[in-house]
Amino acid sequence: MRKILLTAALLCAAALPAISASAPAGSNKSFTGATANLAPGDPAGQWTRQARDYANTRYSPLTQINQKNVARLRVAWTFSDGQMYGHEGAPLVVGDTMYLVTPYPNIAYALDLSKTGAPIKWVFQPNPDPRAIGEACCDKVLRGWAYADGKLIYNLLDDHTVAVDAQTGKEVWRVLLDDVSKGPTLTQAAFVVGDKVYIGSSGGELGTNGWLQALDVKDGHTIWKAFTNGPDSGALIGPDFKPFYPWMKGKDLGVSTWPGEMWKQGASAPWGWVSYDPDLNEIYYGTSNPGPRTPSQRPGLNLWSSAVFARDAGSGAAKWAYQFTPHDEWDYDGVNENVLIEIPWKGARRKAMVHFNRNGFAYTIDRTNGEVLVAEPFGTQNWAKKIDLATGMPVVNDAAHPIVEKKVENICPPDIGVKNWNPSAFSPRTGLLYAGVFNSCMDLTNHIVQYIPGSPYDGMEMVRHAGPGGNWGEFIAWDPVAGKRIWSVKENLYVWSGAVVTGSDLVFYGTMDGWFRAVNARTGKVLWSQKLGSGITAAPMTFVGPDKRQYVAVYTGVGGGAGVLRRVGGYMPGGNTLYVFSVDGAGIGSGAGQLVSHSDVAAPVSVPPAAAHN
Amino acid sequence: MRRLVLALLMLATPASAQVAADTPNPFEGKADAVEAGHALFGKMNCVGCHAYDLTGGMGPDLTDNSWQYGGKPGEIFHTIAEGTPRGMPSWKDKMTPDEIWQVVSYIHSKHQ
Repeated sequence: MRKILLTAALLCAAALPAISASAPAGSNKSFTGATANLAPGDPAGQWTRQARDYANTRYSPLTQINQKNVARLRVAWTFSDGQMYGHEGAPLVVGDTMYLVTPYPNIAYALDLSKTGAPIKWVFQPNPDPRAIGEACCDKVLRGWAYADGKLIYNLLDDHTVAVDAQTGKEVWRVLLDDVSKGPTLTQAAFVVGDKVYIGSSGGELGTNGWLQALDVKDGHTIWKAFTNGPDSGALIGPDFKPFYPWMKGKDLGVSTWPGEMWKQGASAPWGWVSYDPDLNEIYYGTSNPGPRTPSQRPGLNLWSSAVFARDAGSGAAKWAYQFTPHDEWDYDGVNENVLIEIPWKGARRKAMVHFNRNGFAYTIDRTNGEVLVAEPFGTQNWAKKIDLATGMPVVNDAAHPIVEKKVENICPPDIGVKNWNPSAFSPRTGLLYAGVFNSCMDLTNHIVQYIPGSPYDGMEMVRHAGPGGNWGEFIAWDPVAGKRIWSVKENLYVWSGAVVTGSDLVFYGTMDGWFRAVNARTGKVLWSQKLGSGITAAPMTFVGPDKRQYVAVYTGVGGGAGVLRRVGGYMPGGNTLYVFSVDGAGIGSGAGQLVSHSDVAAPVSVPPAAAHN
Repeated sequence: MRRLVLALLMLATPASAQVAADTPNPFEGKADAVEAGHALFGKMNCVGCHAYDLTGGMGPDLTDNSWQYGGKPGEIFHTIAEGTPRGMPSWKDKMTPDEIWQVVSYIHSKHQ
């Protein structure tokens, strides 16, 4: 009997996540002492920007849904937007209105949360140029939208940014920022601080010349524009630019670290997230892989690809940069979110940022100067032995270098990374970050490619396979000070959803095989799961409705880069349904009897979904 | 002057632009055309959208017998030459008609 008990206990231990002893479950103690500035301090029930705060924590202080009642979450209402490309953004809630924007053709909806069933308040159809469909590398997605100054502001796939009156749904302004026929698209989530909206270009695989620009929220005109590569003048690199490591110091490195004029097709597109520190008045964002993806064609560091920039939010002047993967040979990029936190460090507090890079290392960086404090693997990787903290350089494994026309086996991770753009969350209560991660490797054969404007400038032929253990993904809690995992939950497929963590120590995330889960933020114990109609590659959020009730919402609609697993078992059909949950599914007018129906506005006739892609 | 304009117009109009759907592939059944098309499929970056194994990614799968713009040789030729409104570029200025037919041969070789 004792043997059976022991076996049972071992089985349980195997099934349960590993727990650090440093902060027992049930306590309110932080695991790390890390905190965050939650500016601008929006009302607790609102969600007015993709990551909720400037620091990109995705932390909600709400506590109505808690450890005890979370298992009673049920669907309160749903909304289908009719579009079949991958869904990647989180809904915004401002006052009594929810704002949604679809992937291409980028239709915006305002839903009235004060009425039964959240009917459509207005719909806006921007009708972007369909040529953009053929230029977007990784599905025809949009990662989010912004609310500011009474306007909903977002990017169209065809290189326009548009602002829509949040009350009426009428277009206020629309500006054209690039030429889609040459390869660039816009898929980034517009990010607003004060009177500026920051827009970054997409097109890492299209030989583009990446840029980030600040537009005026009032009329959309460009206030400043910073190219990633090229001469210092175009990159807004001047006397204020002080990178921490010597190898990133010098004049016009965005030219001299490339052969000839290859920087002009060097991509390095900032298609990921922007964060903002109101005390330093600086923005932080990452840049994509260099083009072409075949590294032997572009000897050199290829600055400023696969890097992070700190810039003055007002002038755009670069303050520092750090290149995560010099001369990126594996398409590891640097676009993932930078979560701004304050950490205890050798007896003092440091203003830091945490960045889970595709290359498999989680970096904790001093955001005042670009010094790497911690760089530890957060998942399966073998391309580097370590990141040398003295130089900031990776120590690359010789066996991981790609070779033209020869298959190099088992490089981990593949191009898609140990984590992609799917945003992590940080809790100031636990001091931990929460992230969906990937466990996979690739067999890589490189090819020499030529630049043909408007076509892929790529060269990587690869077969991806699951990493050790056979599971493609997991969801982890990460200690950003010690640089180690606290717990993890294994999942069958890549966990490509964003995360949200609440004041009740609940973390929500979704899986590509359609499970939406609530997890104890301290232990990793799964408290609730609901199977939804499609896979989840969007970020969940939580809000309080006009009825003072807390809801949790998430878009389904698997797609985007996650489509690389479309032939792996468990991958679900596409979808486009927003699910909104509450305790017992309660909502305005719920209960017995026929509900009052509101049907003032008709949805547009859906664009016929593409049979395949284009 | 008019003659000059006409001559320029003719120069700017590639011979490849108009091919009827039922036009047979002049390279039908020729293995060397399949090989040449394979090389062009890589060289012209077709692989970037349709993948090295032609199963698609950024662009559609070319192996699944589902043809949005028609699967006859002449229809595939036309799609490659003219491009599509949904972002497939036009290749008639970058490849000769023979080269486009060779790519058609390569694509069709994946359907036998």
